[in-house]
Amino acid sequence: MFIALVRKELLALSRDLHGLAALFVMPAIFIVVMSLALQNYYSPSLAPMRYAIDARDTDAPARLIVAAWQRAHGPAVPLPADWQAELKSGRLNYVITLAPGLSDVLDAPSLPTEPRIELRSEPGIDGHLFNSLRAELVGVAGEVKGQLAFVQSGAPSPPPHASIAALVKAERFAGGGPRPTAVQQNVPAWLVFGMFFVVASLSSLFLQERASGTLARLRSLGVSPLMLLASKALPYLGVNALQAALMLAVGVWVMPLLGSAGLALAGIHWGALALVLLAIGLAAVSLALVLASAVRTHGQATTIGPILNVLMAAVGGIMVPKFVMPALMQRVAEWSPMNWGLEALLTVLLRGGGVAATLPEVGRLVAFALAMFVLAALWIRKPA
Amino acid sequence: MLLLDNVSYRYPASANAALDGVSMRAERGSVLGLLGPNGAGKTTLISHLSGALAVQGGQIRVDGEALQAVRARSPTRIAVAPQEYAFYPMLTVAENLACFAAAGGLAGAHKRQRIDACLAFAQLQDFAGVRAERLSGGLKRRLNLAIAVLPEPELLLFDEPTVGVDAQSRAFVLDAIKALAVNGAAVIYASHYMEEIEAIADRVVILDQGRVMRDGPLDALLAEGAQLLTLRADGVDAAALARFGDVTRGADHWRVRLAADHKPVEVLAALDAAGVTVRQAEFGRASLEQLFMALTDRSLRDH
Repeated sequence: MFIALVRKELLALSRDLHGLAALFVMPAIFIVVMSLALQNYYSPSLAPMRYAIDARDTDAPARLIVAAWQRAHGPAVPLPADWQAELKSGRLNYVITLAPGLSDVLDAPSLPTEPRIELRSEPGIDGHLFNSLRAELVGVAGEVKGQLAFVQSGAPSPPPHASIAALVKAERFAGGGPRPTAVQQNVPAWLVFGMFFVVASLSSLFLQERASGTLARLRSLGVSPLMLLASKALPYLGVNALQAALMLAVGVWVMPLLGSAGLALAGIHWGALALVLLAIGLAAVSLALVLASAVRTHGQATTIGPILNVLMAAVGGIMVPKFVMPALMQRVAEWSPMNWGLEALLTVLLRGGGVAATLPEVGRLVAFALAMFVLAALWIRKPA
Repeated sequence: MLLLDNVSYRYPASANAALDGVSMRAERGSVLGLLGPNGAGKTTLISHLSGALAVQGGQIRVDGEALQAVRARSPTRIAVAPQEYAFYPMLTVAENLACFAAAGGLAGAHKRQRIDACLAFAQLQDFAGVRAERLSGGLKRRLNLAIAVLPEPELLLFDEPTVGVDAQSRAFVLDAIKALAVNGAAVIYASHYMEEIEAIADRVVILDQGRVMRDGPLDALLAEGAQLLTLRADGVDAAALARFGDVTRGADHWRVRLAADHKPVEVLAALDAAGVTVRQAEFGRASLEQLFMALTDRSLRDH
């Protein structure tokens, strides 16, 4: 009986082209698009920015600032006469103004008290980028001031490659695991999102069965609610497994073809990955069963399911990484099952974690799945 | 085989009972016609038999045993063929039969034998590989029927099994259902098509607003209407008619249930003598439609 019901579910799914597209193509496209769009997010390049320098101080110390900046950022464009308008419209990304008296301040044996370097950016610049440019300007000015102090004190000239920046080394520590890239971050995120999209497909057939009396007919033939739910859960766990394989394959093989970094799976704990994917699948399928049992119309199914998914994704760090959220939202994110899945996947794919490291999130996902399954079993007994 | 004894049911938050003291019985080898308009309580009754609703008041027994116990032990003894196309449109006819056969607990060679037998019974052999969604309305009805008989149930309940089919398919479905009763099954045939009930039923229960209005052999019910004289005339004096039998007034007609010692010609003569012009008069073996109207003063088709 169970095998026949599973077979029915698979046949129905295989003949629903739109449902298959939603399950497999949509998340794959998301991974490709989002990885390409965000490929510079984790290693932003400042070089292609278009900037100009308004040098109202042209003495030697100010010229040192200009030279140091251009070494890092490429040549500036000539300052347009209407640079304010260019800046406002975004045609110029930023303008650095070196105010009169800057050289004197740099030469003086004291710290400045008034601004002499002004950074003005276009209105739409990313906040992190703006802060980064500002910090870099402070660094360059400090370095020039240091150099001038060495000259005045008669110290020997530093080697040409010496700089304050050479003092600091920064890296994302992954404990020897894969290097964090947009692909490494996006594949887990959109994989989790895609796996939860079984809601739409599962509830579609469920509603059809309920509306046509097919569900009542199966029940009257003696098929128990648990058997019904299990016969739906198993095929969709299989769908989840296929989705995961497809998304990982897209990350590993397709992304490099599109000029992006590929997903690195070398050195990861495969057992932990399988466990996490199974836990995510259980949570996603159980949630789908609850929604399918609870909704009564196609309208409800086609709105509630996707809206819930998008909300869980928005809150859970799929669309916006959790670390950029304010503290309150980060705490809210911890209530989203998608966040548990994402964190567990990142533990395996980015942090090189094993089974034990994923257990807190896996435990939550499995507990959530059990609770949802029980709820679905209670709900399915209700008459339509 | 099936006995309903004073069965009552009220849906939560509903003011009126959906079933109000319903008693009836269905026997092996015969067709019980269940006649009633929408809202009469047919669906509630069917839901009880399919196991979807628990009995609130009264009892339902199968061969003397409580329905619930029978359903729990062998749910396929009772089959309900719903009014809807209760199968999978994206699966073929054969795939549908295989799915429901397995759901009904059939397996192996017996399952294959039953699928073949039901394909033949519903004359669907040529459509075994066709997806159900591509079948005509008549063929869909036949598939609904074939699925119902798969596990060889002893009691079958058909809910409006001919809705939306052509005359040829309707005749086929009626013959097939009649054959089930001839072969020993107990059949309940719920419909608001009086002609079908008249064509197929051995016994008829008329249900309205959750209550049994009449329960008896078809011939007896039809004969009951034989004493009914329906008149359309102006200026009728009800008191003058009362000496011939029970008089009731409808929207545009009068009905006289003639007492045993009176004939219709006496009524017409009396009206003529009183100067009343009779525009229309009906008398003789009544149809179920007329009987239902006489019982409820409503037409079945209005609902």
